[in-house]
Amino acid sequence: MRAWIVLVLVAVVVALRLWTRRRGRERTASWSWPAVGDVGLVAGREVRERLRAKVFRFGTLVVLAVVAAAIIIPKVESGQHHPQQVGVVGPLDTSLRQSVEASAKSIGTTAHLVTEPDLQAAKERLGQGKLALVVNDGRELLVNTPVEPTTTSTTAEFVRAVSRDLAVAEALQAAQLSPAQASALAHTSPVPVHSLQPGRNHGAAQGTSVVGLILVFIMLTQYNGWILVGVMEEKSSRVIEVLLAAVRPIRLLTGKVLGIGFVAFAQAAIIVAFALILAKVVGSDLLSGTAPLVLVCTLIWLLLGYAFYCWVFAAAGSLAERQEQVQTLALPLSLPIIFGYIIALTAASSGNASTFFEVLAYLPPTAPFAMPVLVALSDVTWVGFLASAALSIVATIGMARLAGAVYRRAILHTGNRLRLRQLFARSAG
Amino acid sequence: MDALLEFEGLRCHFGSVVALDGLTFTVPSGQVVGFLGPNGAGKTTTMRSVFGLTDLDAGSVRWGGKPIDQAARRRFGYMPEERGLYPGMLVGEQLEYLGQLHGMNRTDARAAARTWLDRLGIADKVGVKVETLSHGNQQRVQLVAALIHGAELLVLDEPLAGLDPPGIDAISGVLSEQASAGCCVLFSSHQLDQVEELCESVTIIDHGRLVAAGTVDDLADSGPRRLVVRVEGDRDASWARHLPGVTASEVVGGEARLVLDAGIDSDAILRAAMAAGRVSEFTFERRRLSEVFREAVA
Repeated sequence: MRAWIVLVLVAVVVALRLWTRRRGRERTASWSWPAVGDVGLVAGREVRERLRAKVFRFGTLVVLAVVAAAIIIPKVESGQHHPQQVGVVGPLDTSLRQSVEASAKSIGTTAHLVTEPDLQAAKERLGQGKLALVVNDGRELLVNTPVEPTTTSTTAEFVRAVSRDLAVAEALQAAQLSPAQASALAHTSPVPVHSLQPGRNHGAAQGTSVVGLILVFIMLTQYNGWILVGVMEEKSSRVIEVLLAAVRPIRLLTGKVLGIGFVAFAQAAIIVAFALILAKVVGSDLLSGTAPLVLVCTLIWLLLGYAFYCWVFAAAGSLAERQEQVQTLALPLSLPIIFGYIIALTAASSGNASTFFEVLAYLPPTAPFAMPVLVALSDVTWVGFLASAALSIVATIGMARLAGAVYRRAILHTGNRLRLRQLFARSAG
Repeated sequence: MDALLEFEGLRCHFGSVVALDGLTFTVPSGQVVGFLGPNGAGKTTTMRSVFGLTDLDAGSVRWGGKPIDQAARRRFGYMPEERGLYPGMLVGEQLEYLGQLHGMNRTDARAAARTWLDRLGIADKVGVKVETLSHGNQQRVQLVAALIHGAELLVLDEPLAGLDPPGIDAISGVLSEQASAGCCVLFSSHQLDQVEELCESVTIIDHGRLVAAGTVDDLADSGPRRLVVRVEGDRDASWARHLPGVTASEVVGGEARLVLDAGIDSDAILRAAMAAGRVSEFTFERRRLSEVFREAVA
């Protein structure tokens, strides 16, 4: 494991070294800019203009409000005690009443037993939602809607517990055991089960991965949309011609994606910091267990996902001349994002990752959604995680080169619509 | 030696349309050179080629004898035909940004932007968004964007289009001033009267080929001699209709513009006119630029 990490670090250092050497050779060939140069200027303009936009400020506040709600509401809900209202029709002796109350306690709630005048009145109150269930003569339970075995609400669990425990209590009564014997039987604890492997409590991590997925989805959709529209606007307003008179196309594009990317991560950092602080303050379990690790992985994949998709959307933006064309282009480009988001959300909610889902975690278009979920479910090793990240980086480099070539050809094209053949012809130049 | 902009053997096509067909010409420094041609002649394609915005099939563009690279381009100023500015950005910030992209530091770019805006009479627009400006003022801002970094070469595609007379005067004044300071100025226009007034020399292209080039004086003096003759009482200049080697190119209100073939004696024309009546006007005339243009692209 450590060897893998060291290997990756060495590879990154070597790659950076080679890149800086190459840049050095290029710089000596002609007059050059300072370190940040034109890319920094372009990025800086993007940052200034985006931060100045009211839609950005308002959007950030909305996301913070949603995050706050996601952290606070479950905490408030869990802290509130709503006694389960139980209607009692006919006689129900003390031991059976105690059994109902014990059932409620076993699932972390309380029961309030109300004597109903008759069955009809009880059914009416049940239908009105004033009662969770009705115990009729101690022999049957009535509920308003069927309780499916898969239903996980507190009321459903309570109904199942009362149904089971009441039957046991009546059986104990029928066996004519002494109160002490009946009590001993009623309060038995399950035999403990010990596992050779450490336990996997995914609850908090799953919840965090769901929040992370929503964050990644919103960020990728919003910021790639900005790139798409921004590139199109520069082309349609012809300001691109003035810019390209001073800056190379690929450097202009790089500055643009870096600037918007910086804004994206600044916003993500604010949201995550806000979530961490708020969760700590209110004592939310959203960040307990392995949840912080999931959060870090989510941020890493937000970065990798943005790096991959930004080039795709930039190239597409250079093909558009008008706002209507942007809409047409945005949908097919967003499909892998929507697909990855939905399938990851499903896996995170169910707690199960299929083989197909695991494959998606290694494909660059869907990995930003699938990989953090696999981490949350503890279904991936660090080697797998790093392999997927490496694949994504390689794909991003390829995509950047392709997008640069497409952008250069498309952005300068005037007249008739550019055909695919024209787009890729002489793209190396 | 002053730098020279050279276009040599430019060829370019868009699908089946030949935009440039072996175009070759030069633009000297210290002059305002008018770049003329009918619509679709290839002017914009040629001007874009200076900035690498045209994929040429063949040919080269050189500045000071060397192929143009990105470092050289940063010292040029460009005003595209379709105006290019960020509509939602403030005028001052936009000019500062473009100046920095051309290698200026922030302070110098800010100072230069204010100086030029003041020079063109729109200093009060520094803090407003470009999209709120009138067409003429947007044009002025666009010109400042080309001038701000003290360009060695100005390539301006239709800088006078859509401007009112004060706007034309302001921009013309700036271009003359720049040329006097040693800048190389190439600009295209369809307003031939303004070009004649402003330019020392012109280059005329048609169908992607050079059809005429030279100083305005040389072009006006070149070609067959031209006479303007008025004979009182002869409003349709019928006396000149049958003179050998003479063509009446225009007759307006008794004033005849005559084009003389080579070797035709002007004294013989004068005698023929005097025989037809009292001659109230008899002058040699230079060709106007509009006539040079029409003949060149005919």
